[in-house]
Formats: sequence, structure tokens, C-alpha cells
Amino acid sequence: MNRSIGVTLNALGLYGIALVLVAAFAGQILLGELPCPLCLLQRVLFAMLAIGPILNIRFGPHPGHYALSLLAAIVGATVSARQILLHIMPRDPGYGSALLGYHYYTWAFISFAAAIVLIAIVLLFDDRLPDDKVARPVRLFASGAVWLMIGLTAINAASTLLECGFKACPDNPTFYELLKRAP
Amino acid sequence: MEFTVLFLCILVVMAASWWGSRRLALALFSIVLVASVATYLHHATDTLNLSF
Repeated sequence: MNRSIGVTLNALGLYGIALVLVAAFAGQILLGELPCPLCLLQRVLFAMLAIGPILNIRFGPHPGHYALSLLAAIVGATVSARQILLHIMPRDPGYGSALLGYHYYTWAFISFAAAIVLIAIVLLFDDRLPDDKVARPVRLFASGAVWLMIGLTAINAASTLLECGFKACPDNPTFYELLKRAP
Repeated sequence: MEFTVLFLCILVVMAASWWGSRRLALALFSIVLVASVATYLHHATDTLNLSF
């Protein structure tokens, strides 16, 4: 696999991660369902999953960069599996609305598991290109993916601050802490 | 609050990955990953009501 294909695949991966975060935001804004602590942690780990592709785009594909994404995906799968187990009892409605039959945390688990498999496949075809160590110019398609992820992470930071304020996030949030009116 | 801090830390890691050195990005990523696992362990204290 040459560098160009590797960078394009990583940019596509970033757009895929961005899609998951946008879907989460759509649920939060359109349905008014605020994310719980474990849901926020899954978003955090999706953002961390993006660090490997960003490094791959900037410095060229490298097994070490894929390793970062693998670590983030494994922790993300653990967190989402934990939330699935919290709602595994029969007749448990789950947390939030279901999308195409699955809740967000189930989709998160599927996404993290898919990321692990995809990264393994990419590593299988990795030809150990020479290590760049220095940044190279990046095409608009790839740099757009990076900027989209940076923007979504910033929006998530702002949204989480609005939701939780300056204290611990509640287990079952129903309103934005910083938008609450004083009595 | 802790999640806002985590998101802000990830922004710093992304900035380091894009504009800074790879070594710095790897070091910062390690710190944020450990912080994320610690946050998970902190929140994973609820009893699991398993159906078996």
C-alpha cells in the first residue's frame, strides 16, 4: 500500500468518526437527549480514535500511529460494552432513543469493534514505508477531515461544559447546567 | 467537568499531532488515554444487574 492510498484511507476513517459524532449530536439537539457520563466517555474515545489517522495524514502511515487508534478502540469497546451490560435486563428500555433498532452505545461498540478489524486489515497490507519524521503537505480532502474532527471535538467540549458546568456530570442529565436559570 | 477537561486535552493532542512533533503527540496521547481509563473506572461503580 503506497502513501497516497494510506492517507486517503485514513482521511475516510476520519470522516467516518466525524459521522458518528455528528449522529450523536443530532440525537442530542433534535431529540433533546443529553448524553450520560458513559455516553460522553464514548465520544471522548471516538475523538481519541482520530489521533492516529491525524498523525498518519501529517507524518505518513506508521504502525505506531495505528497502535494509538487500536488502544483507543479497545478502551472505547470496553466502555460501550459496559453500558450495554447496564441495560441488558429484559424489558429494560435502555438509555435514550434507539437508531435503526440499536442504542447509541450499541452502535458505539459495533463501531469500535469495526475500527479494530479495519486497522488490523490495514496493518496486514502495510509495506513499512520509510518513516518521514517530518510533516508533509496534505491535500484538501485529508486536511478537511482533520479540521472537521478538530471542530467536532471543540463543539463537544463546549457542549459538555454547557451540560455539566463546573461539577461532576449527573448520571441521568435532563437539562443543561449552565443554561439553568437561577431561582 | 472531567469530560470537558478530557475533550480540551484531546484538542491539545490533536493540535500537537497537526502542528507539533510526533513524539509530543504520542506522550500527550498516553496521558489522556490513562486519564480516560481512570475516568471510566471512576464511573464504573454501579452494580451490574445482569440477567443471568
